[in-house]
Amino acid sequence: MSADPPLLELRNVDVVFNGVIQVLRGASLTVPAGAVVALLGANGAGKTTALRAVSGLLATEQGRVTAGHIGYAGADITNADPCAIVARGLVQVLDGRRVLAHLSVAQNLRAGAHFRRDFDEPAELARVLGYFPALERLMRRTAGYLSGGEMQMLLVGRALMARPRLMLLDEPSMGLAPRIAQELFATIRRINRAEGMAILLVEQNAAAALEICDHGYVMETGRVVLHGDRAALLANEDMRAFYLGLSLTQARRSYREVKHYKRRKRWLG
Amino acid sequence: MLPSGVFFTDHAAEAGLLRTLPQRLWLAALLAALVLLPLVAGAHLIGLLTMLCITAIAVLGLQITTGMAGQVNLGQSAFVGAGAFVAARLALAGLPLPLVLPLAGLAAAAGSVAFALPAMRVKGFYLALTTLAAQVMFPILIIRLPAAWFGGADGLGVDPPTVAGIRLGGATAMYLLCLGVLVVMATAAFNVGRSRAGRAFRAMRDNDNAARVLGIDPLRTKLAAFFAGAFFAGVAGALYAYQVRYVTTEQFTLWQSVWYVGMLLVGGMTQPLGAILGTLFVTLLQEMLRSAGGALLDADVGLQGGAIFAATNVLLGSVILAGLIFEPRGLAHRWGLVVAAYRIWPYPHR
Repeated sequence: MSADPPLLELRNVDVVFNGVIQVLRGASLTVPAGAVVALLGANGAGKTTALRAVSGLLATEQGRVTAGHIGYAGADITNADPCAIVARGLVQVLDGRRVLAHLSVAQNLRAGAHFRRDFDEPAELARVLGYFPALERLMRRTAGYLSGGEMQMLLVGRALMARPRLMLLDEPSMGLAPRIAQELFATIRRINRAEGMAILLVEQNAAAALEICDHGYVMETGRVVLHGDRAALLANEDMRAFYLGLSLTQARRSYREVKHYKRRKRWLG
Repeated sequence: MLPSGVFFTDHAAEAGLLRTLPQRLWLAALLAALVLLPLVAGAHLIGLLTMLCITAIAVLGLQITTGMAGQVNLGQSAFVGAGAFVAARLALAGLPLPLVLPLAGLAAAAGSVAFALPAMRVKGFYLALTTLAAQVMFPILIIRLPAAWFGGADGLGVDPPTVAGIRLGGATAMYLLCLGVLVVMATAAFNVGRSRAGRAFRAMRDNDNAARVLGIDPLRTKLAAFFAGAFFAGVAGALYAYQVRYVTTEQFTLWQSVWYVGMLLVGGMTQPLGAILGTLFVTLLQEMLRSAGGALLDADVGLQGGAIFAATNVLLGSVILAGLIFEPRGLAHRWGLVVAAYRIWPYPHR
């Protein structure tokens, strides 16, 4: 890693909900400027909680950071107000497709730039539509009636309207057809390259996330249990066995085989 | 949906309130008809329409607080009352109407902020309860304050307003005044809906966490929603004071607040048009049933006054209930469907 200070740094962060339920236990991770960092792990490992600790949303669920330190671009944002964090260029894309259902696609996008006062709105819209051309013909549609893939594109596009330096992406592939998810990941990578925007990506789909990330962290029960750059994670045997569906004894199965196997399994199940 | 052949090349034109020539013409015709109405209508109808304009302003305010921003408000009538008392007091002190209206609005809005502060912490039913507290506290507060301020339990009398040296004493003058204020306030309400603030209101109503991560401050947005809604109520209250020329706490009841919510529900919560259509529908229905009941009593068909009064209320409730069952999204939604059907005619759907 370079000697520059990282854009985002979580150091030994503990998160406690309602004063009694501890979810994060000394979690540490860093996101260098301009990098894509994946945060992997099983359900309930604390991935989303880590993102919410960064974006300041814990307070809405009676949670707070009780120990440790979250630094962003040289400032301390531990337990800061979400709006103040957004204004610094750190934008979260929530999980579960939370579009503003009664607003049109265009209004959703404009809402993404809510805190920006002086900017060229048509140019910003054109920039977002450049990444997601499919949104162009949907601009007047009510966002609540979009398909899942369209909603996810809208959410990433809405976050882009804020021109963030760091985007927190919570499970963008959830509930999407594999092909759509693949396209979405490719676009996310493209945005990262073109804008130099750092991305912290939480994903269940480890294989897809590892395809586009530079670094990865694996969480289990609130701790970071494994981290490394992409190549190291792909070579790690635990990683291969637990998250990528590759066995130790066999040679690497082709993606096609895995896909086929999964598909058959779903049919049989 | 737009009529065929209408395209926009810039956002300003597309977001405009009136987007086609026929829309402008129809609106102008409607306004002209409303202005010329006193030439043909009787005093009773004009009085009714004046009250309708005043009520519509209060319901437009409720639409901003409850419909756009999703903050339940069962105390709108108290805010109307606050505006009415402040207006009466200021009018007695000799302030002219162009000053009294905005000041009454601001006073009601400032009062609403005190009750909006709990809205930072509570939602839905719990918020309804805190606004209910505003409604309950309002008469107690007015009566307990020194009688020299707001007249205590006796209330205050108000003289007819004077605008530019002309005394607006007659029913027609008050009607035109209230109509004019309604037009201004309705234009404001429609514009709030398409402004940055309106977008923030609706974003917060749709999903408050999603709004937070967009940098929309829920505290400020909720306060703004209550402030704007109560401002409308205060202006309505000021007009009410001038129209009725006498204000007491008994005119601003919880019942009235519930009626405001009912009108908004019948008309449709999501757009300002719903507030106007709902007020129109419910007020005219009330009036029709009342006059029908009166006619029935005069005809002496053997029914007692109490029975007729109860029957008209049951009928009124049933009609509103039927409206909510068959058009839960309100009259404004139905109106939108009618407009769309007209535009795509003769095709059944697009």
